[in-house]
Amino acid sequence: MNCQRFEELVSELARGQIMDADLQRDALDHERECRECMLRLNAEEHLTRGLHALKLEMESVSAPMALESHLVEAFRTRNVVHPIVPRRTMARYWLTAVAALLLIVFGVVAARWRHEQKQPRQVEAAVPSKQYEKQAVAYNRTPDQPKPERPAPERRPKRERRLNGLVAKTPSRNANRDESQISNHVVKEIATDFVALSYLNPENIQEGGQIVRVELPRSAMASFGFPVNMDRYNEKVKADVLLGVDGVAHAIRFVKEY
Amino acid sequence: MTAAFRPFRMKANNDQNDGELLRLMLAGDEDALTLLYRRRQAAIYRFALQMSGSPSVAEDVTQEVFLFLMRQGHVFDAARGSLPSFLLGVARNYVLRRLRGEQLLVTLADDYEDEVASEQTRTEPGLLEELTRAETIEAVRKAILSLPERYREVVVLCELQELSYVETAEILGCAIGTVRSRLHRARSLLLTKLRPAEQADQTTEVTVKSARCFA
Repeated sequence: MNCQRFEELVSELARGQIMDADLQRDALDHERECRECMLRLNAEEHLTRGLHALKLEMESVSAPMALESHLVEAFRTRNVVHPIVPRRTMARYWLTAVAALLLIVFGVVAARWRHEQKQPRQVEAAVPSKQYEKQAVAYNRTPDQPKPERPAPERRPKRERRLNGLVAKTPSRNANRDESQISNHVVKEIATDFVALSYLNPENIQEGGQIVRVELPRSAMASFGFPVNMDRYNEKVKADVLLGVDGVAHAIRFVKEY
Repeated sequence: MTAAFRPFRMKANNDQNDGELLRLMLAGDEDALTLLYRRRQAAIYRFALQMSGSPSVAEDVTQEVFLFLMRQGHVFDAARGSLPSFLLGVARNYVLRRLRGEQLLVTLADDYEDEVASEQTRTEPGLLEELTRAETIEAVRKAILSLPERYREVVVLCELQELSYVETAEILGCAIGTVRSRLHRARSLLLTKLRPAEQADQTTEVTVKSARCFA
């Protein structure tokens, strides 16, 4: 044992703390041999006695009696007691998440509803194309194929509008969903009826043919009896020309995209 | 005559431990509060008084501690320590807040305390015996109050409250080794402060001149 080691243990020795018996014996042996360390231990023991005296002096000290009554009064009147509240739960976060989810669902439903509201307009546009396709099929049919039964004449809807001689072929809103899905990709357009360019022999058409989309000067419409706005006479207008198998144009109709 | 139905409710009594009394108090049992207060108020009041040296501060701190217990007693976790340690920890926070806020006491600067603690304290025998008991107590009290807070609280808890190193470490929220080393330094500082001025000069001179014995 040296003085440095004794210095580390002197407080424990003076306070009577439990320590290893051999270590304590070595420390006390050193204290008997070294005067400096003996003085150090004596000073520590005096300090311990002083602290103990202070502790005894203050043992009887306690808070004033009035404090207890104040606290009890506070306990009764100020309602400071709160029930034991469980620690912060995730309920608030779950509620927020559910609200957000509901908002998203309502948003999607509203978007779908609006989308479905727009569907009938596209159906309206689909029908001219459907007739266009039917005519194309009929004209492309080969002679050996049986002639399809002529469908019953369709009643034109009451909402059909005439506009400067152009017939807007609007379908009924009850057109089935499949048709609308097929023709969703078709551009919206209105067209006139086919106007014969020459004496039309149905047999020539039955042999087959095709419809060709062309662009003509707007003034060409006048040749077929349609009114022409002279301010726009030099503009182009689209037209479908029905060609027979011999390549001769048999009929024409004018088309307007909108 | 029919007895009205009343839910069974345990009444507080002195045989119950602190945890049960706290639970009853939080449930609204006034007797539990009274029992708990009477059981623990003295230690808290003494701690606050020894730390601050002011009875009014000690009274305020004691009141604040029990009001805190009424409001937020549910934060006490028995797994982390005993209720007395918890209460002393709360009291410590209030005391330090008051001391730092009001600057009631002038503490030593850190460089001074380290300087003093690093030197080997040498004291003549019979230093404290020369003083009367009352003078000794008063001198020790003043010496403790002049210690820096971190040393003062260790002396108060380990020496005056006679808590173990483990309990003190729980209250202070530090390691046991830290408590032990702080106490050692605090005692060295106390011996220096309790040394009479003339002896201090001589001792300092002796300390400088003397070579340490490493026998």
